[in-house]
Formats: sequence, C-alpha cells, structure tokens
Amino acid sequence: MDIKTYVETVLQPKLQGDGGWIEFVSFENDELTVIFRGECSKCLILHRCEAWIEEQIQKDLGLKVKLCGIRKKPYFQDT
Amino acid sequence: MAHIKVVRRSMRPEEWTDLRFGWLKRHIYSSKWEIENLEIRDARQVAEMQFDYYSEDYRPLKKGDMYFTPDGTAFIKAEVNIPKELQGKELWFSLKTAAEICVKVNGKYVGGVDPNRERMLLSPYINDSETLHFDMMGYNRSKPDDERNPESLSVRGCRQVFEGAYICTVNHQVQDLVYDFELLLDIAKSELFNEDYRAFLNKELNNAMNLIDFDSDELQGVSEAKKYVDEVIYANDNYKGSGDVALIAHSHLDVAYYWRRIHAVQKNLRTVLIQLRLMDKYPDFKYTHTQPYVYETLEKYYPEVFEELKEKVAKGQFEPVGAMYVEPDCNVPSAESLIRQCLYGQNTYKRMFGKRVNNAWLPDVFGNSWILPQILKKSGVDYFVSNKMSTWNDTNRFPHNNFIWKGIDGSEVYACVPPTHFITWNMPSQIQENWEAYIDKDSGGQTLNMFGYGDGGSGCTEEMIELMHRFKKLSVMPKCEHVSGREFLEKNLKGNTELETWDGELYLEMHRGTFTTKSNLKKLNRSLEFKFRTAEMLSLMRGEDNREKITELYKKFLINQFHDILPGSHIHPVYVDAMKDYEEIEKGLEKIINEGGRYFNTLNFKRDALTFIEDENGSNERYGKKGYFAVPNLPSLSGGEIKKADFDGEWITLGDTIETPFYKVKFNPDGSIASLYDRELCREWADGDFNKLKIYTDNPGNYDAWDILPNYKDKQIEVRTEKALELISKDSECATFRTVLKTEKSTWTMLIRLFRQSRGIEVENIVNWNEKHKLAKAEFSCNVLTRKALCDTSAGFIERETHRNTTWQQARFECCHHKWCDMSETDGGVAIINDGKYGAGFHNNVISLSLLRATIRPDVVSDMGMHNFCYMIVPHSGDVVSAKINNLAFQYNVPLVKADVKWNMPTFEPLYLQSAKKSEDGTMTVIRLSEQDGRRGKITLDRKVKLLNMLEDVTGETDVIEYKPFEIITIGW
Repeated sequence: MDIKTYVETVLQPKLQGDGGWIEFVSFENDELTVIFRGECSKCLILHRCEAWIEEQIQKDLGLKVKLCGIRKKPYFQDT
Repeated sequence: MAHIKVVRRSMRPEEWTDLRFGWLKRHIYSSKWEIENLEIRDARQVAEMQFDYYSEDYRPLKKGDMYFTPDGTAFIKAEVNIPKELQGKELWFSLKTAAEICVKVNGKYVGGVDPNRERMLLSPYINDSETLHFDMMGYNRSKPDDERNPESLSVRGCRQVFEGAYICTVNHQVQDLVYDFELLLDIAKSELFNEDYRAFLNKELNNAMNLIDFDSDELQGVSEAKKYVDEVIYANDNYKGSGDVALIAHSHLDVAYYWRRIHAVQKNLRTVLIQLRLMDKYPDFKYTHTQPYVYETLEKYYPEVFEELKEKVAKGQFEPVGAMYVEPDCNVPSAESLIRQCLYGQNTYKRMFGKRVNNAWLPDVFGNSWILPQILKKSGVDYFVSNKMSTWNDTNRFPHNNFIWKGIDGSEVYACVPPTHFITWNMPSQIQENWEAYIDKDSGGQTLNMFGYGDGGSGCTEEMIELMHRFKKLSVMPKCEHVSGREFLEKNLKGNTELETWDGELYLEMHRGTFTTKSNLKKLNRSLEFKFRTAEMLSLMRGEDNREKITELYKKFLINQFHDILPGSHIHPVYVDAMKDYEEIEKGLEKIINEGGRYFNTLNFKRDALTFIEDENGSNERYGKKGYFAVPNLPSLSGGEIKKADFDGEWITLGDTIETPFYKVKFNPDGSIASLYDRELCREWADGDFNKLKIYTDNPGNYDAWDILPNYKDKQIEVRTEKALELISKDSECATFRTVLKTEKSTWTMLIRLFRQSRGIEVENIVNWNEKHKLAKAEFSCNVLTRKALCDTSAGFIERETHRNTTWQQARFECCHHKWCDMSETDGGVAIINDGKYGAGFHNNVISLSLLRATIRPDVVSDMGMHNFCYMIVPHSGDVVSAKINNLAFQYNVPLVKADVKWNMPTFEPLYLQSAKKSEDGTMTVIRLSEQDGRRGKITLDRKVKLLNMLEDVTGETDVIEYKPFEIITIGW
C-alpha cells in the first residue's frame, strides 16, 4: 500500500471517528505533508497524534517519515 | 497629565480563599496505592461490540505512558491484591482520565470513571482479601461531553498521558468541607445572589480557611473549619431567597453526534452504571433516563446491568422517561414516523417494565411540529418536555415555561419548556438562574431544572448530590425539591387551571439549517416513509405476516431520525452509517413489496395526475431511468393497466414564447421563467425571478451545520450559464429543456419539463456540488398578493405569515415544510411540490425553496458530491384545498407499485389512508386515517369497527367515523 492510500484508507477513518480529518498532500524526501481539518485543526495536543501517525506508518509500511501537518481551522474557530 | 488606570496587582482576599481551597482539595485522599501491574490493549470499535485490535496481546501500562488512539477503545486489565494495611477500609478506585471507562471487578460491573469523575467506590462490591481482576474498557474522544465544562475541555484529545490508577481511601472530613466550599464559593462568585450575602460569605469563608493549618504535616483544623461553616455560615438565615425549583437528575445522550451509534452502547452503559452506583450510595437519589432504544442495547449486551436497572426502576429510583423510541428530530419526520416513535417506544417500555410512560422527554430537539400534541395525546402522553425554545431562541423570548400546548387539531398536552439548559451541574448559581428566568412563577408551580452531565451521557456525580443535600441549609437559595420527572409534571401541570395556552408550532429560532443540511438523508427519509406504508399495506393485502421484519426495519429507521442524525449535525462516519442503514432498510422493504404483474394504486383516491412510469423503452429519462409519462387513471386502492395516451398531435409550440395547453412560457437562458402566462386562467404567475437558482454565502459560525442566519442574502455568488436552455426531448406528453449552470466549483444541470396533460412544471436538478459555506435556493417571485403561505406538515397544513411586521415573523425567515408549500389568492396561486426538501422561506410574494447547503462542521465534507432531486411548480386555480394540491403531492411522492393484490375494505375517502397494517399483537387490521384539508364530516361504514388510540388500545366502537379538521383517527378492522 502506498503512503497516500494508507493516509486515506487507514488513518482517515480513525481520525474521522473523532471528528477529525486528515488529507494527504505530498510525500517527498521522507517528509509526509498532510492537512488537518475539523477537530484536529484546533487540537491542543495534536503533536501527540502526529507522533502516533509516524509510529503507525513505520509499523505498517516500514517507512520512517517526518510528518508535516498543516492545520486548516474553519473561519469561525480561527481567532 | 496622562491618565493612569489603577490596576490591583496584589492578591485579593477571595483569591487567597481560592488558593487555599485548591490546597484543601489535595488532601481529599487519605491514602493512595498505585496499581503498577496494569496492562493495555489498544483497539478500535468497528461495529457494536466488535473491535479491531492494534496488537495480538496486552502491553504494560505505566504512569506517563501514552494511551488511547484516534477513535480508539482501550482494554485495560490488572490483577490486584489489596495491601494488608488497606484491607477493611472503605476503598475507592481512582483514575484521572479524559476517556470514558467502565470498570469490571471479578466479573461484576462496579462503576465508571470519565472526565467528570475520577473515582468510584469499590468496597461494597468487592472482597478486599481476595485477588481482584480489574477489566476496564475505555473509549476516548476528542470532544468532551459538554464544552462548557472547562475541566473536561482541558483534557480533550485523542492521545492521552496515563496518570496512574490507584486504590484509595478518602478523608471524608476534608471531602465534606470541599463540598461546602464548592457550594458556598459558587454563591460568593455569582452576581445572581444578594451582594451583602456574598460579602458575608467572602469574609466568613476566609475565616473558616484561617482555622486550617496548611503548613502542618497532618492537615490540622479541618473539623474546626467545618464547625465554623455550620455554625456561622449555614446558621445565618438573615438573607432570604425566593423560588421553588424542582431538581430532576438527567443525562442527555446523543445516540450519534461526534461519535457513531456503535459507541452509544458503551456511553449508555457507563451512564447507567454510574447512576446505579449513586443510587446504591444515596437512597434518595432519583434519575430520569430517556430512549427505549438505549435500554434495548443495555438489555442485549449488558444483561446483568440491565437487571440491576430493572430493580431500581421497581424501587422508583431509576425512572424511564420519554415515550419515543429515540429523541427524534421533530420537524422533518412525518406524522406516521412520529407515531411509530411512540408506538415502538411505549411498547418497549411496557415489555421491559410492565408500564408505559406519560411524557415525551425531548430536551435537545430543534423545534417541534404542530402535529405533535395530537400524536402524543393519542399515544398515552399527557406531558411534553423540551428545552430549546427558552434558551436558544435568537430573537424572541418564548413566553411560557409551564403551559398548555394546543396542536393543529385542537388536542392539548401539558408542556414544559424549562427556562435553562438541560445540562447543568447543580450549582446554586445555575438553580438561581433557572428561577430568575422562569416566566410562569405565578401560575406554573415549580420550575424544572435538570442536572447531570450529558450530550454523550455521563450523568450526575456524587458532588451534585452532596451539594443538593446542602441546599436546604441555605436560606438564600430557592426552595429545592429533588423529584422524578413524573412527580414534577403531575404535581405542577396536571389540572392546573392557571396555565396559559400556546396554540401553534414550537418554532425554534435557531438551527434553521437543519431542514436542509445533508440533503440525501432527508430525501431517503421521505421516500422510505412511503415505502414502509407500501410494504405494510401490501403485506396486509397478501395476508403475509411481516410484523417482525417490519418492526426491525422500522426501528433502524427511527434511530436514524435521531435529532443529530436526520438533521445533519454530525461527523462524517455517522452519515456513512446512516446511508448504509437506509440502503439496508430499502432492500428489506423492497423484498417485502416484491413485484407483481399489474400496477396498483396504494393511495385511497383516484390516481389522476401525470406520472412517470419506468420503462426501458420509454422516450423520457428521469432520475437516470428511462420511462414515459402517463395518467394512470387508477381508482382508489385498485389495480389495473396503465396505457399511454393515444395522442400524436402537436401540443407545444416552440419559439421565444413556448405555448402548451396550459401556459405561454418565456424562459431565460438559465432556466428561470421570465413570464408564465396561464392560458386557462388568463393571468400571469411570474413577478420577477421565478424558478431562479440563487447561491448565497452561508456563514453561520460555530453552529455551522445547524444554522442559517438572516444575513445569508447579503452576498450572492455568480451562477453563470454554461449551456443556455434548450429543448432536449419531446414526445406526446412531455417536453424536456436543459440548461447547465456553473459556479467556480460546481455544475448544476436543470431539466425543466412541460407537460401536455398537467399544469405542473417539473424541475429535475442534477448537481455536482463542491462548494463551501453556500446555500442554494430556488426562488419564485409569484404574481400573488397574500400575507400567508400554507405549508404541508404531513398531517394537515400550517399558515405562515409572509410579512415581517413583528420580530416573530422576522425570526421565521426559514421554516420547515413537508411535501408542498403554497402562496395563493382566493382564486388561484402557486404551489411548489417537492420530493425531499424541507427548508423554505416566505417573504412578501417570494417562495425560496432551500436546496443544498455546504457546511464543514461537524462534517468537513457535508453534502459534497452528486445530488439529484426534483420539485414541481404548480400554478392553480382556487385555493390549496380546492386545487387538491395535497393529493397531487402524494401522487408525486408515492411511487406506483406493481402488485397483484385486492383491497377488501372501504376506501375511507375523503380522509387520507395514512397507514394500513397488522396490529402489533396480530389480532386485527389497523387503519390510520388523517384529515388533511381542514374539514369536518363523517364516514358511514357497513359494520362496527373498533376505535383505537395510536398504541392500538381499544377505546370504543363505532360504525360512523366522525372526523374534524386535521384529526388523525385509528381504527381496528
């Protein structure tokens, strides 16, 4: 499974189940860039989830990645 | 000289008290022994009681470890031998967590911990000299039960740090004093209470704290402080409060919302379990719990806890409330759906507890249809409770709290719209706020104040009960009485002749977007409502007993009418679940409906409207299926063949003005109608934008999925015409025109059909919708002078004023309607019939039908993707009733079926045959009839029939059915 499919089919349902949202943007030079929306975008401890995502990718895909998360807060929570 | 604002930087006396209060709380536990051999296994719940595990086995769980995963469930276990020095003492289990954890010890459910409580009592449920097997199941969520509780908000997030689990003993002297301070500090900080009393409290709480020596190793002076509080503070009754407040323990449990329905099983278990344990400890504690559906899940998956619940119900401590199967949305579901909510809800309670309930308990629903009082009254419900109109209305203060609600047919129920939120934590300031907001102080008796954490369940805490036990010591507080729901309602409302009456819908001046958000759910809900009707009728006529299957399907359907599912206010996985459920329900119903050789008209009036007949050889296409248009001409409840009309002449003239037998139409390239001249009635119907697609920016703020704000019209986005309107097909009955409209991101194809034999002008919309924060409406500026619009409610019609004279009309800029809405003069008007749209606005002579929204909270991709829906414009002579718009709307929504069946009963015209089914007990045929034109009259039968209520109890016998406007009548045949 490629990393884009992994983000979309394995990680996404889990984050969605908590009101969160993750979207694949790019994977270059071991850096995985994703967009976080929904509850993830305003989570105060998102860094813990980001570390967990890196662990899961290493465990399931055998890839050591550095996650770069972009938060897209909705306008009504972007204060 | 520059002005310098004096800012106090030194610590105030009250802050000194607060600081020491924090120190005092650190001494609540007299001893804590850490459980160090915990093990954890991470999982994710994928279905009810089904889990995908992250690992084959458990791993050790130590303080400081990360635990829980996104949407994760964790199983935690340990074998615990209580140290000798703790044996024989009152023992507690403590685990500070953001998760929702149910705890089993040696196979027995002992209690739960969550963000609202960190400890649970062990002693009465364990033998502390034997090895204790702890089994915990925890569900973590990023969203706390109630975002107003800052403590639970601060610990939100998917990945948590484990803070350790402990066996503890509690210093009750300290704990008692903490409760006292909790209570008194809340009053001291609340401006709702007497200023002098608050000054007194601030002074004396400081004095009480001065008696405690926080520097000593063993906290000294606690009993002296407690004595001081009793003898100086509680003993002071110089300050008199007023009011009479009924305190009802309740936990709001959204079946689905920021979580899937599968999680509600454990949310309910935890809530119930915690309340049962509080009942063990506090024999005076009573708790109300709604939704028979969640009782069913407890019975099915946790029978031992359910048995305990039944015992507490028998003792009167645990009170089932709410006759409806779930707490449904009460705008969009039809009358028959709401009846089934009551029928299956009441039957479930009766089976479980041997009795029904006499109330509907719907604290969180988004407004209530005018058809409800009749349905409730005829379902054994005398009392109605719903909070939102009092505290959420954005424009007008709803004028009653305890009152009589008069329904569309004149039925009356006692109603309570409590003055404040249904989630409170029993603080004096919240109770005082309730009393002060209570409008009916002189006529309504007590005011209702619910307490208990909720949304995702959780319920009451020990602290709430302890505080409640102290209220009577405070002369400054209103008189408080802890009662059950039934006690409150019967004591204050029953027979109360002083109550005012509200005659009309309970419109919520908020959440107006929920009539439109998640368009696909609404459309499927509509079509399945009629499919249930067809399936039950055909089962009856075929002599098939499908009761069990239909009940199973109906229950699944009713769950999806829950007030955060059907209205669209939920996360994406909830939508996916609902769509899957609808697919299963549809398949199940189609299997029952089956297929016969000839067409059958399930409507109890002649099917005389032009109808689309599916046929792979047909020359028309509708909803992606081939077919042709024909007038079925099938008599009421009869079968037959449908023949295409034998017509091969010209019936339509094309050109700048298109002429049909009914109209001269001038279209604009975008499909809007510049002129619609009625050749029969010799009048123009369009007066400005007519059938004009308008897309507005729709930025309602945090309540994104819920709200449409009145400023939505401020900004309109450009909809350009990609392909101008053109004729794409024409046959002997129908001419179809197509236009393709575009925004920057979406494509909107509009198919407009003109007919030879119908006054209706149908508009099919095929939309690839990729917008964000937009509201699409079809607007119809009608050449009609009227001050009212009529709207179908599914069981009669309601009038809505079209002017903006007062704030009450201004607030109703977006309303819920069912199959049709209409603006008419006395001799003619324009009706819009839909097949799954519910939101509409009426202003002066403009009808604006809400079509699609594009919200991003809670679901980031709400309503994105393909949509296909139709509506029909029906200019008509006379008024709605004489034009038979309701009958037309039924024909538009109820598909023809093929079934070789025969109806052996009367047709019951002119009433609408709403349902024909086997009775729940299988002993008779149940016929439900609905008067929908606002008339009275009678139907004489050739035999005596049983008169039934909606729960199918026999209430009488007759051979003449007398009906009055908007009455729903149930008979047993």
